[in-house]
Amino acid sequence: MRKVLLAAMVCLLAAGGAFAADDVIKIGFYNCLTGQNAFGGQLELEGTQLALAEIPEVLGKKIELVVVDNKSDKVESANAVTRLIERDKVSAIIGTYGSSLAMAGGEVAEAAKIPVMGTSCTNPLVTLNKRYYFRACFIDPFQGAGGATYAVKTLGFKKAALLVDVANDYSVGLNNFFKQAFVKLGGEIVSEMRYNSGDQDFTAQLTEIISKKPDMVFLPAYFAEGAIVLKQARELGATFRFMGGDAMDNPEVVTLGGEAVEGFLHTTFAYDPSMKDMNPVAQKFTESWKAAYPDKDPNVNAALGYDAYILLIDAIRRAGSADPEKIRDALEQTKDVPTVTGLTTMNATHDAEKELGIVEIRGGKKQFIGIVTPEA
Amino acid sequence: MNEDMNRKTRNFILNCLALAALVAFLLWAPGNLDRYKLRIINLIAINAILGLSLNLIYGMTGMFSLGHAGFMAIGAYVSSLLILTAEQKTSMWILEPIAPWLLNLHAPFLVSLIAAGLAAAFFGWLIALPVLRLGGDYLGIATLGFAEILRILIVNLTPLTNGSLGLKGIPAHTDIWMSYGCLVAVLIFMIRLMNGNFGNVLRAVRDDEIAARTMGIDTFRTRVLAFTIGSFGGGLGGALMGNLITAIDPKMFMIAQTYSLLMIVVVGGLGSITGSVIGSVLITTMLEWLRIVEDPITIGSLHIPGIPGMRMVIFSMLLIAVIIFRREGIMGTREFSWDWFFPKKTKQRPISERPVSDTKGADAG
Repeated sequence: MRKVLLAAMVCLLAAGGAFAADDVIKIGFYNCLTGQNAFGGQLELEGTQLALAEIPEVLGKKIELVVVDNKSDKVESANAVTRLIERDKVSAIIGTYGSSLAMAGGEVAEAAKIPVMGTSCTNPLVTLNKRYYFRACFIDPFQGAGGATYAVKTLGFKKAALLVDVANDYSVGLNNFFKQAFVKLGGEIVSEMRYNSGDQDFTAQLTEIISKKPDMVFLPAYFAEGAIVLKQARELGATFRFMGGDAMDNPEVVTLGGEAVEGFLHTTFAYDPSMKDMNPVAQKFTESWKAAYPDKDPNVNAALGYDAYILLIDAIRRAGSADPEKIRDALEQTKDVPTVTGLTTMNATHDAEKELGIVEIRGGKKQFIGIVTPEA
Repeated sequence: MNEDMNRKTRNFILNCLALAALVAFLLWAPGNLDRYKLRIINLIAINAILGLSLNLIYGMTGMFSLGHAGFMAIGAYVSSLLILTAEQKTSMWILEPIAPWLLNLHAPFLVSLIAAGLAAAFFGWLIALPVLRLGGDYLGIATLGFAEILRILIVNLTPLTNGSLGLKGIPAHTDIWMSYGCLVAVLIFMIRLMNGNFGNVLRAVRDDEIAARTMGIDTFRTRVLAFTIGSFGGGLGGALMGNLITAIDPKMFMIAQTYSLLMIVVVGGLGSITGSVIGSVLITTMLEWLRIVEDPITIGSLHIPGIPGMRMVIFSMLLIAVIIFRREGIMGTREFSWDWFFPKKTKQRPISERPVSDTKGADAG
């Protein structure tokens, strides 16, 4: 009996697969939907699905989004991309949160010559020497320089301390680029402290930093640790400002940190629901997000998931075909495409050139302060 | 006696046939299977090597070790550092410059594989000396600590390892010939080892250490040796894995990696070579095959959207079922034998008395 049931299930599944017709363009989506980075991957998926609902067709063909989980794991990430390419025969792929996962997946796509549009993988190594990997986000050198510019030029900070998560590639990279730019702009680094992902107690590092009396602390953390750092710094009586990167752009920061995150600054993409003069794409995105998910605010991950889809569709439209090679060529020509996070242009290294925003937390809410142009 | 000779000849021929079948399959596969299937097949071999090496430590010698991810890390890093070109290295070390002596160190892939195994074996030997004086759960905790220390060292030794940024662009040398070649070599080695006297010594140490010592076995030396050989396998597997994924970083070698190997060994059967191979095939393919439960399914007018993470739920339930209904794993401590396919003509010795010696080379297929 069990065997019969099993056989029936298999038949049904096979039948389901057989419906795929020629008038469909398949786009793969791989991301961390489970595992330690699931919070980011899920938001990006929701963003992409929102864009899919708005633009369900291109070149008169229906778009089918094939979603695969990579479990926040590199081996799975490479498997997921191989599966999308070989089994689902996708024309292009979107993904993923987490630069190391994107590197594992990118190698596979590169070998198979299938273009990939990265969502929020901001490490320079992801697209380094890659013909087929693009990304909808800016890269960390740009973000680090922007943060430093804002700190030195606008806020007039001279002395900075750094608190970096050495186990996290994103944190290490961004920290490095901020440091370079800050020193170049005439600032001084008074202390550089380290911690590891998953740490809960930062009082030792913070006490050391407080004793050096910096004007600000750069904290390129993920939100879970970042919020605890802010809390403990407040408890230790720290009065300096903290600044973080786009990974701190998560509604959870305020939930976890409470009053301690007041005045926290972070660089991010030029989108926030609190923006005053939103571009039309961002307005549309915010409205449809509110309609689809009334109980949560959109953030940059959702916006980047949305943007990645828009950029890909734009390229397919210009390519006039679903041929991976033609899509790749078109992606390379991407210029001034309106997206949620501003006008986007692909540069020679396949990284999106777009504006950098600064957000401050005021009164328990994120406030979009403005756009900053990196000077270093 | 004559009967025994016939059996040996028969088994030898069958082993050769099995090996030929494997070679034929490897010749056929690249042209006829897509890259996705090839990747899974490749992963099976690597997981089998890793499972076998852990089984030697845990299943056959009875040392509960949770340090395998650490040995994999050593292997993966040593091998990658040896095969990356100086140019690649300079472009990757963006935080701190690479150690100068490391920059121009270069070796062919095969040499790097052996170096990876040897480096892991050396570290295995080094920690075995103090740690193997512990037993049972304490050994587990100590080896777990070793793997964690190693990971943190890799994160912080930026001039050597590029820290948490990891290495990328590692040439993809691990094709199915390479991984199955290594697997066959490891299998032949393991089978010969376990069929020889050393295998009996290992089992004696595992089953009753005091009795073994009374028999004049230097149990400490035996355990150190088994642990060192096991860590060689871990390093080899790690190197192959790194060359398959082509990008490695310290996060790959967290404790979860050890657990998934442990799963292969336990599901297959502690102390069974066949079991580890079966466990590897089952777990590697199941994890991928179960992705279908995460796809959206349309049955008639009923549309079920895909639920990410569903396959892990089902996978865990399957594992629990195995643990409940077959506590000793699929194979227990038994081994595959060609005798299974032939009716017994004469009354043979009870198999339980000599469980492994009937199986020489039988796993090659």
